[in-house]
Amino acid sequence: MIPEDTQNPGRCMEPLQLAGQIIMENGGETFRAEETICRMGEGLGLHEVESFAVPSGLFISYRAEGEQLETGIKRVHRQSTNLTRVDEVNRVSRQVSAGKMSAQDALTRLRDIARMKGPMAGGLSILSAAVCAGGFALLFGGWLPEVGVSAVVAAIVQAFSLLLLRFHSRGIATNILGGLLTAMLPHLAARLCPGLITEAVIAGALMPLVPGIAMTNAVQDTMRGDMVSGLSHGVEALLTACMIAGGALLSPPLLRLLEGGGF
Amino acid sequence: MPWTEFVRGGLGAFFGALGFAWLVRTPRRAWIPAGLVAALVYLLYLGLVAFGVADPLAIFFATLAGSLSGQLCARKMKMISTVFLMAAIVPVVPGLGLYRMMAYLGQGSTALGAEQGVSAMITIAMTALGLAMGSHVDRAIHPSHWPHHG
Repeated sequence: MIPEDTQNPGRCMEPLQLAGQIIMENGGETFRAEETICRMGEGLGLHEVESFAVPSGLFISYRAEGEQLETGIKRVHRQSTNLTRVDEVNRVSRQVSAGKMSAQDALTRLRDIARMKGPMAGGLSILSAAVCAGGFALLFGGWLPEVGVSAVVAAIVQAFSLLLLRFHSRGIATNILGGLLTAMLPHLAARLCPGLITEAVIAGALMPLVPGIAMTNAVQDTMRGDMVSGLSHGVEALLTACMIAGGALLSPPLLRLLEGGGF
Repeated sequence: MPWTEFVRGGLGAFFGALGFAWLVRTPRRAWIPAGLVAALVYLLYLGLVAFGVADPLAIFFATLAGSLSGQLCARKMKMISTVFLMAAIVPVVPGLGLYRMMAYLGQGSTALGAEQGVSAMITIAMTALGLAMGSHVDRAIHPSHWPHHG
């Protein structure tokens, strides 16, 4: 099975590039993309397989039996986080490296994975944000009213993010407006529900916006000596946190303005 | 520390991490283990604090335990470790501290805001240190480590 793939080295480049691309576009670490490409290449019977990944692109080279060195470059555009896709690529990689899957079968499977439902599709992400915020509101010292309000606020913010996504707006706008809404809505809810611990509600509702994957990847990549990717993910996490904080900081003056006071 | 704090913390960390795992579209079979890793981390943190351990140290040891148990889960379930490592750090992210910092800065109380900010930064640093140490220990124990095993 493997030798027939290596007879046409061009057929091997596409699955290798697609595997790396899916991992990096969906929140996987760069070291994972590099190692997956190398293992898959070795499993396909290629020689001198090398991969170099940075958060914005992939470089792959290998030599098939009796052929010249083949090199490919793939630009990567970070989309969103979908760890199921990353995990599915891992499964394909296991099979390829064990010699149980050909390059063509791997390519077909990887194309299916790339078409899997996006993370922001559907109302399920609204529900997941609500569960996340409700849980953390409990952790931050809230009880049932805080859990409920925090879940509703996070659901509204997530729905708003989905709406912005329809206008191809993500990143800056989503984080700043998300931070603003998360800090403002609980204060408005407190007027209807006196005694509400707004601090627990806000801290809980902010948690779905936390760049948890970027923080994890920053540490993971840095620990493997990949300083470029580690720093890049670290800066991404820091910028996201600053944008959320900036949005939340806009809340008190806006509330004062709504109450008829000065800005 | 009253036992209700442990119940509240454990349940909150479990459901919070479960929701977060769902939000970032981790495979369904990882949701409950991810929630359990988060609950373990937070309960360990609360336990250490109750025994008089300083807050930054408690966060470090709790994250270290979470990182190691996350790597173990990844290996046993043949899944990527990111899912479980993320769950290990999410409960100790200083959400409340960062909110308080922003609230104080918004009110013009710079000193109080800076105090909260420094405390939050120490927490983040300890979390990263615990996670990195866990990864390091895991790689030392399993030198042939590669992505299919976390």
